[in-house]
Amino acid sequence: MEYVNPEGLRLDGRRPMEMRQLRAEIGVVSRADGSASFEMGNTKVIAAVYGPREVQNRSQQMNDQALVRCEYSMANFSTGDRRRKTKGDRRSTEISLVIRQTMEACILTNLMPRSQIDIYVQVLQADGGTRSACINAATLALADAGIPMRDLVTSCSAGYLNSTPLLDLNYLEDSAGGADVTVGILPKLDKVTLLQMDAKLPMDIFENVMQLAVEGCKAVDSYIREILLENTKTLEIHRGV
Amino acid sequence: MRMKKKMTPEMVGLSVGEKNFIKGGIAQDLRNDGRKRLTYRPIYVETGVIPQANGSARVKLGETDVIASVKAELGKPRVSHPDQGKVYIYVECSPTAEPSFERRGGDELSTELSIALERSLLGGKSGAGAGINPASLLIKEGKVCWDLYVDCLVISSDGNLLDALGAAIKAALSNTGIPRVQVREAASSDEQADVDVSDEEFLQFDTSGVPVIVTLTKVGRHYIVDATSEEESLMSSAVSISVNRHGMICGLTKRGGAGLDPSVILDMISVAKHVSEQLLNKLDSEIEAAERANEEEP
Repeated sequence: MEYVNPEGLRLDGRRPMEMRQLRAEIGVVSRADGSASFEMGNTKVIAAVYGPREVQNRSQQMNDQALVRCEYSMANFSTGDRRRKTKGDRRSTEISLVIRQTMEACILTNLMPRSQIDIYVQVLQADGGTRSACINAATLALADAGIPMRDLVTSCSAGYLNSTPLLDLNYLEDSAGGADVTVGILPKLDKVTLLQMDAKLPMDIFENVMQLAVEGCKAVDSYIREILLENTKTLEIHRGV
Repeated sequence: MRMKKKMTPEMVGLSVGEKNFIKGGIAQDLRNDGRKRLTYRPIYVETGVIPQANGSARVKLGETDVIASVKAELGKPRVSHPDQGKVYIYVECSPTAEPSFERRGGDELSTELSIALERSLLGGKSGAGAGINPASLLIKEGKVCWDLYVDCLVISSDGNLLDALGAAIKAALSNTGIPRVQVREAASSDEQADVDVSDEEFLQFDTSGVPVIVTLTKVGRHYIVDATSEEESLMSSAVSISVNRHGMICGLTKRGGAGLDPSVILDMISVAKHVSEQLLNKLDSEIEAAERANEEEP
């Protein structure tokens, strides 16, 4: 199957180094302390943050830092075939863990001891890159909740098909059997905080693909900053500043 | 046996003063957000939000935000009803709406909502009197039919989930296109009948018989329509009535502790019928506007 045609176009008409269209919105769940929706092409996710609040399970309370919890669930209708188990399966549990560890590393948890921060991510539509979309949505939701962080965390994936590194794989490209590298970075600090890959790649090609994913993360970062800036301007107007 | 978790005023965080203020306001026909007792919050409808489903809609009722999606799959009719298709309604409460919905916390509420919706929309065991006519889903008697899976997701909750879900299902069904099917006569007509599912032609689902659900919440001596979660936490009981365009009652559910005098219930039913007319009109015009907006988009 041809994932990159002779003219250099992918299945959805993108160029190899082109990301899908990004769309984000802050404050979609008013009941939550912070929330955001994030779309990467046809992948749509919503993240809601509740916290810092009192720890529900006293035995898990930590006296020197905040407890960060995360749950990832996919809607029944998010995938092409109707999905029976929406949460609690192995993939969802693993992704919940990945998001929790990634966000925990960047939240200044020692500023909020004996408290709990809950991050809930709900996938509405899955078309590849759900992990990355969830992390990006969680970052925006945490910012909306006003939770102090070291830096934003942005994430993007990249792969290698038909001898070409491809940025931001959709579901078809992801299922093609080639490598899928997911990277999460702290853009200002220029540090990698999440790195996952499946399938196999020669070392030099891996470096190229990972570098491409990092570039994608930086593009997401500039988009997120734009959104946050717009949001702050709106808040200023509402406050009458 | 687990105790049913009620939305208590403590969970919503209301002080005694606030509780009295809300109750007093309702008694004087002036609710916290300025509405009268029988006024709905502004309804916002968007259709076609889930492109891979046969039909879908997102409905916002104030801060309550729900998505409904309709997927049609080929299946076999039940042996007891060979002339009908099957409809399944399933609700899921996302933890984004309420932290207590994480893991299995939302199961109880999801089940309650699913069953209430099935009761309101699917009619009796024989399929009689259903808002969604299962006979229209038949392809070949006894062999092939459509299975409709209606999946709903509650994203954000500020009260009145049942009405919002009912509206979302109605909008999603209006948006639903069932592929045209050609039945090929099989050589051995035992179990399998071959069907050709068209990729091109779609039949719009007929939603004129689909009812809306109106929930009346009793607070003190008065009933209100479209309660917010604050108002719901003060309710003594609630009755949800589904009414269709012809003013016929398609289903009724009473929830909540306090007992109601039968005359009160009859009064609530007539109030619900009156309110449902306005709701139906508003909903239909919103759905039309949403469908038009979809068509105008390139």
